[in-house]
Amino acid sequence: MSWWSFPWKEWQRRPLRTAITLTGVAIALAALFSLLSFQHGYRAGLQHELDKLGAHILVVPKGCPYDAASIALHGANWPCYLKSQYLEEVRATPGVSAAAPVLMAAFYNEPGRQTVYAGIDTNILSLKRAWRIHGKFPQATNDVLVGADVARQFKLRVGGQFSLPGLEKQNGFVAGIIDPTSGPDDGFVFLTLSSAQALLGHSNELTHILVRLKDPNQLEQVVGQLRGCDAGLYMNIVPLAHLFETIRSVVNSARVLMGCIAFVALFAAMSGLANSILMSLNERTGEIGVMRALGASRLQVGRLIWSEAMGLCGAGALLGCLAAFGAARFIESWLRSRLPFAPSEPLIEWQFWIVAVCLAISLVAGTLACLAPVIRVTLLHPMEAIRQRNT
Amino acid sequence: MRSPPETPAAVFARDLRKSYRRGREEIEALAGVSFVINPGEFVAIVGPSGAGKTTLLNLIGCMDAPTSGELRIEGTDVSGMNDQERTRFRREQIGFVFQHFGLIPTLTVAENIALPLLFSGKAKKDRVGLLLERVGLWPRRNHKPSELSGGEMQRVAIARALVNEPKMILADEPTGNLDSQTGEQIITLFGELQRSGLTVMVVTHNDPLAQCADRQIQLKDGRTL
Repeated sequence: MSWWSFPWKEWQRRPLRTAITLTGVAIALAALFSLLSFQHGYRAGLQHELDKLGAHILVVPKGCPYDAASIALHGANWPCYLKSQYLEEVRATPGVSAAAPVLMAAFYNEPGRQTVYAGIDTNILSLKRAWRIHGKFPQATNDVLVGADVARQFKLRVGGQFSLPGLEKQNGFVAGIIDPTSGPDDGFVFLTLSSAQALLGHSNELTHILVRLKDPNQLEQVVGQLRGCDAGLYMNIVPLAHLFETIRSVVNSARVLMGCIAFVALFAAMSGLANSILMSLNERTGEIGVMRALGASRLQVGRLIWSEAMGLCGAGALLGCLAAFGAARFIESWLRSRLPFAPSEPLIEWQFWIVAVCLAISLVAGTLACLAPVIRVTLLHPMEAIRQRNT
Repeated sequence: MRSPPETPAAVFARDLRKSYRRGREEIEALAGVSFVINPGEFVAIVGPSGAGKTTLLNLIGCMDAPTSGELRIEGTDVSGMNDQERTRFRREQIGFVFQHFGLIPTLTVAENIALPLLFSGKAKKDRVGLLLERVGLWPRRNHKPSELSGGEMQRVAIARALVNEPKMILADEPTGNLDSQTGEQIITLFGELQRSGLTVMVVTHNDPLAQCADRQIQLKDGRTL
């Protein structure tokens, strides 16, 4: 028999009470685990999106809605346009390493399924350094470069032809296919900029310009210069890192809500734990007295009660983490349907340190919850305790 | 009353007093008790209810401190000890047996016997086995207390009291919850303990048990007669 096998036997004495207490702790820790995993996953997802975009600054038309970055990232129809001539001014700005013009539009070929077209030129390759292209970059009017998902959906091969979805009587020649990027690019159809402008009826117009800097540390200076140039009056200069920070602060409200739920659940669970231990102590006062008579010190009986609570908290934390891990897919889809912007990467990303933090919080909260019962048991006079058993 | 003898007595009590407060009322449970118990003696403490028998046993068992007077156990003055010192002394020197057995229902017979070892930090698996053999409960070692008879439960309690190899066994009405036949078995067991060199002190109303003792200390109204 050891100090740790003793609590295990105590839990078996009242299995229903133990199960209810354990469930309470597990629910609270599942909420906490989900919150921390979401926080980590969301931050990592945003950073990944930024890295995949390859741009430090997004230039959009003045008056463009705030979620321009979301449109640029995930593809949709744009409500306003930039003139192509602004591109030269952007490129001429000191500190700009590359500026890639894009004209983007989306067509719904089936209900709920859109095809995103993006007109680009070779400057995009300076930004999308992770792209691996089978075939070649589109050069001719009908050439298209397709993302991996599009190629799979329409069973496309390099050199093949296909009818461009959403565009009547327009065929594309598959010049190249991009290897899977695990990002929105997988679902895009890329054309030459001039072809896209002709096809979409926006000659000499762009939806946005992706700008990469020579030194990302000079972001503030370059943004200032872009805003100060002649075309700056007609352009909205959006530093993407700032934008993602803003998105994160918008999402903070969701996080605070989840945090509140986790806190309330933890508080309720720990109240339940304290109550459960107090009830158990009430029933076992005589036994505690006997233990004291047999030579248990105040510290030892306190340790017994504490270890019972710690066992419950530890088991509850692990169960909670497992439950949250199991329900991650459901939580993820629920979050995606409610967040203003969700990166394509998984939103819930668990790490071992998150499990460790949950375990630590559970043990600390458990220690606080059992403080009163432990103090009470250590103050019990052995004779009084034994007398309670006999009455 | 003599001074403490040179060979320490198992128990030396001089003018031992213990009073309690119940609300505004002060109750004197022991009003100046003096006696000596020699090592290896079997002593029965007898007297009517409320005479102070259990209070005396608890003082000798270091469960409580006397209000005044001198109390030496195996030559050690325990009257001025604090709770921590009394607990350590109790753990090392004294074994307790209760009327209601005091077994932990979630533990098996063997685990109940081993419980004091957990508190003393000693690992003596062999000792538990020996005691199980000694009280005739080896076949029942994995049973829970609820599966035992009253006599068996009291034998477990006695084995548990012996596991830390104390010098003295204190028993509070050990036959009080047993039928006469089972009570006799327990009385025989106490006789065996005394013959093995242990000092045995029993608080009892049971005449056969009191008659078995070497000596009786009679208490009435907190005083020895």
